[in-house]
Amino acid sequence: MLKTPSPALDSRLPPKAGLGLKSEHFREVLQTRPDLGFFEVHAENYMVAGGPLHHFLGRIREQYPLSLHGVGLSIGGEGPLDVAHLQRLAALIERYQPQSFSEHLAWSSHGPVFLNDLLPLAYDEATLDRVCQHIDQVQSSLKRVLLLENPATYLAFEASTLDEPHFISEVIRRTGCGLLLDVNNVYVSCINHCRDPLAYLGALPLHATGEIHLAGFAEDTDSLGERLLIDDHGAPVDHAVWQLYLKVLERIGPVATLIERDNHVPAWEVLLAEARQADRLLSAAGARS
Amino acid sequence: MTASTRTLSATALVLALGSALSMTAVSTVHAADDTMEKCFGVALKGKNDCAAGAGTTCAGTAKMDYQGNAWKSVPKGTCTTMESKTSPTGFGQLEAFKAKS
Amino acid sequence: MSNQHAFTAALLDPRKACPPGLVSANGAAPESRFAVYRNNVLGSLINALADNYPVVVHLVGEEFFRAMAGVYVQSTAPRSPVMSDYGDDFAEFIKHFEPAASVPYLTDVARLERLHLQAWHAADAEPMAQEQIVKALSSPTLAGHLKIGLHPSLRLLQSPFAVVTIWAAHQHQTPVPFEAFPAQNALVLRNGLDVKVFAISHAAHGFITALQQGVSLIAAIEASNDLDLEHTLAGLIRHQAITHLLAEQVSP
Repeated sequence: MLKTPSPALDSRLPPKAGLGLKSEHFREVLQTRPDLGFFEVHAENYMVAGGPLHHFLGRIREQYPLSLHGVGLSIGGEGPLDVAHLQRLAALIERYQPQSFSEHLAWSSHGPVFLNDLLPLAYDEATLDRVCQHIDQVQSSLKRVLLLENPATYLAFEASTLDEPHFISEVIRRTGCGLLLDVNNVYVSCINHCRDPLAYLGALPLHATGEIHLAGFAEDTDSLGERLLIDDHGAPVDHAVWQLYLKVLERIGPVATLIERDNHVPAWEVLLAEARQADRLLSAAGARS
Repeated sequence: MTASTRTLSATALVLALGSALSMTAVSTVHAADDTMEKCFGVALKGKNDCAAGAGTTCAGTAKMDYQGNAWKSVPKGTCTTMESKTSPTGFGQLEAFKAKS
Repeated sequence: MSNQHAFTAALLDPRKACPPGLVSANGAAPESRFAVYRNNVLGSLINALADNYPVVVHLVGEEFFRAMAGVYVQSTAPRSPVMSDYGDDFAEFIKHFEPAASVPYLTDVARLERLHLQAWHAADAEPMAQEQIVKALSSPTLAGHLKIGLHPSLRLLQSPFAVVTIWAAHQHQTPVPFEAFPAQNALVLRNGLDVKVFAISHAAHGFITALQQGVSLIAAIEASNDLDLEHTLAGLIRHQAITHLLAEQVSP
């Protein structure tokens, strides 16, 4: 009889839907073993010595592929990367052998201060050089490819000389890193900066996509009373974002897709239902390609 | 320390240990209501799994609820609703503070 | 001054104008866009403190807590991306925060909550099997010179308030009435996946503190007046607080 090796041992995330793993769902996951392609955790939450977080992640990791998503490396920071933080990441990667490691095109630390938010960058040559250097450093010290996530932003800089998709393309070309395509971020940023989301997607190197994020946003208004979308991961995935996601799948075929929900987290079944929706679209895309 | 007190302590210790160990053995059988539990302290069930403290987020905050520096509030949580028969001082201070504000 | 330096300063201080060089594509005032980031930073840090100090939130109410945390956040931004460490010195801040002085036990409750969180994430260690402890402690010559190794999660707190009772009153869906006195000593310990909080006697606090500092068992006993040794040891053994025993180096 042929033994099917556990998907937990695969080298890449499967082209299926995954969910963010929250501590309130640990027991549910272990008891019900939901049919999900992978789980994603924020690396920084597991930078603790021991206790229940490691206990549960260890057990869940035995059964599922894992995406390790960093939120604190400050790749776009003006200062040097925090080497101690890189070492903490290396230790986590060694311990959990995640199929994917990703970080953001943003900054979050300045000097000794950590600001706990993903802050926007001026897209100029100096920033491009710096971001590429930092990604080179991350990839060589972690000995693996990083997936870089496109940001959701609310502001732009006069100093920017490149547009965001071209900046990202250039980073990927120079460093060989992959793309974590956050479709919600594409939509949010395009609405906030009066851009066409399809044109934005068209300018990205979608072939480098190693993972996709889907999430919901909140609506606010700016000083002109115009729509200002906030990437708050606090609502179901918007219809417009599902539509963009379909376009992406048509272009590149099925790719591991995370449903992100960090605020107003609904019942587990509601999250699973959203993952099922992504799975249906992924299957359809797989059948086509 | 003299040799005799040390010997005495050691003997007392062994007696105490014997007693402690037998209590431990008994308590594994009657863990729920043994007296030792009361003596050692109030054992409470730990928090559940979602009490790991602050987690990170890669999401923004929708509601623009940060209100700057204006200082106007006084404590009005459970500290003000609880009545204590034995500790007038702590709560008296609270009322004094509220009266001022 | 670098761009990110000015950006950082303006994020943390709402009195500062938004930094220069910012634009929005539709011509909206950059301030209205910058406010999103400021709200994200200050709001998320206040939320982080609320997550780390849930009983303090209950004690003073949401509105007071958020205002107090806002003052702390602006003076003490995180120094690490590991948010479970954020607010390590929040109890000290509360101690000197005058509007909170009307709740005199607030500082100690915050200290206890911090210890609880530290215990939650402390290193793992296998408790020593009871039979092994029995074996090692059953020799009178050996037992006295042993040092007791305690679980890495074990934390102790002395308070002039009934800090454990106050904390425990808030571990229910609806907080129950509590009395703020008499004074209590707390022992916090993770056993398996649960963190437990115990009220222990003053003598037991002194005894376990001495053990934690590496004092030999016999010296710790001799230094503790009024110690109920049987119950304290039995408690430590039964709650699996002992991870190893070390033979003390006896000088000739």
